[in-house]
Amino acid sequence: MLVGQIIRLLQMLALAALQILVLNHIHLFGLATPMVSVAFLLYFPFDASRTGTLLWAFALGLIVDTFSNTPGMTAAAMTFTAFLQPLLLDMMAPRDAADNMQPTYTTMGTWAHFRYIVFLVLVEHAVFFLLESFSFWHPLELLLSYVCSAALSILLIATLETLRGKTS
Amino acid sequence: MEEFLERLVGHVHWLVFLLLELFCGVLLFRFNHYQHSVWFTQANIVAGKVLEWEEDVVAYLHLGELNAELTGRNIALQQENEALRQALRQMPQGESAVVGLSLTDSLRSIPARVVANSVRRDENFLTINRGARDGVRPEMGVLSGLGVVGIVCKVSPHYAQVMSVLNRQSSISCRLRGTEYFGYLKWNGGSPLAAFIDDIPRHARFHVGDTVETSGFSSVFPPGIFVGRVSKIRNSADGLAFQLEVKLSTDLSNVRDVCVVVRREHEELDSMIVK
Repeated sequence: MLVGQIIRLLQMLALAALQILVLNHIHLFGLATPMVSVAFLLYFPFDASRTGTLLWAFALGLIVDTFSNTPGMTAAAMTFTAFLQPLLLDMMAPRDAADNMQPTYTTMGTWAHFRYIVFLVLVEHAVFFLLESFSFWHPLELLLSYVCSAALSILLIATLETLRGKTS
Repeated sequence: MEEFLERLVGHVHWLVFLLLELFCGVLLFRFNHYQHSVWFTQANIVAGKVLEWEEDVVAYLHLGELNAELTGRNIALQQENEALRQALRQMPQGESAVVGLSLTDSLRSIPARVVANSVRRDENFLTINRGARDGVRPEMGVLSGLGVVGIVCKVSPHYAQVMSVLNRQSSISCRLRGTEYFGYLKWNGGSPLAAFIDDIPRHARFHVGDTVETSGFSSVFPPGIFVGRVSKIRNSADGLAFQLEVKLSTDLSNVRDVCVVVRREHEELDSMIVK
């Protein structure tokens, strides 16, 4: 139990560091910035406590926000996505999946797992960009930025996931 | 009753969800208004330290460019120095000393380093590694070697958050060098090198390439600090005045060493508050 929590903490710090130290500096074509914090939610199994998931996701969001001067935006997006995560996983996972299944591409099947990533990223980015746009409403620019960032994030997260599927 | 409690516990994540989102909402909407809150921004001590380490590492990679920039600046200053010396020689004795005195008397600066920066949002901020302990206060101006960078908006003991010129809320009083025409420097998203000034009257005479400098009307910046050059002249939205596009002299996406301007007015104000 404790070991599980420590591993979770390390995962959280690793993702936060990746986002803050590397990805925040990327701004492709002045449009797309990959945001990988949502990958954290992929590590939560079927039977994870829903409250626990929410709190973890919120904590990661808050760390990323604090370091990138986006007050509450990532945290709000992560919390919202964490709230929907069990629902999405239930929709995407194979029918005969075990209760404590760790969702990786080996346990879920490559295609189902990829769709799961896509849905999580789309939801998280949607909330984030909507909140960011409160200060300034420019629909076309916003949509373009959303689509490009989401595509980049999906690509990056899927790559990270292939590493994880192999080791576990 | 028991069943009710059981159900309640089963749905406690709804409550947690709502509370967390509420908290995010508070952060999001009070951020700009609550001037003294540096919690959950880059200016808190932990975030500041980590970003400073990162900056220490990354700075080495840019030493080449920095060197080139410094050399260029050096040459420009030498030329200016030479020109000023010539002018001084032609000036009658007695007048020159007064000018020098009044400048150094009212102006002091605190050198600082940028530890975090952004140029791609609509509201951009920088974080610098000097804070209240070093004498930095909100509303102080921040300059780089090349020109205006922004205005300090939040201060923690060791770090400060600076509202960059590249911020929709930023507004800096500027004038065209050599004239008395002034306006507010604004930024509206897009390129980090281009800002604009509205409401320059129709009868004003100026050209593309003219120098834009601070006007000194507020206590934030002293007058005559380089801001940039006029790059385009357009009609303003209502057609009654000119709108100038200004090419900023400082490349804010690449600024590392800055200084915070402390003016006499600030220090007087400070001592008044203490009393």
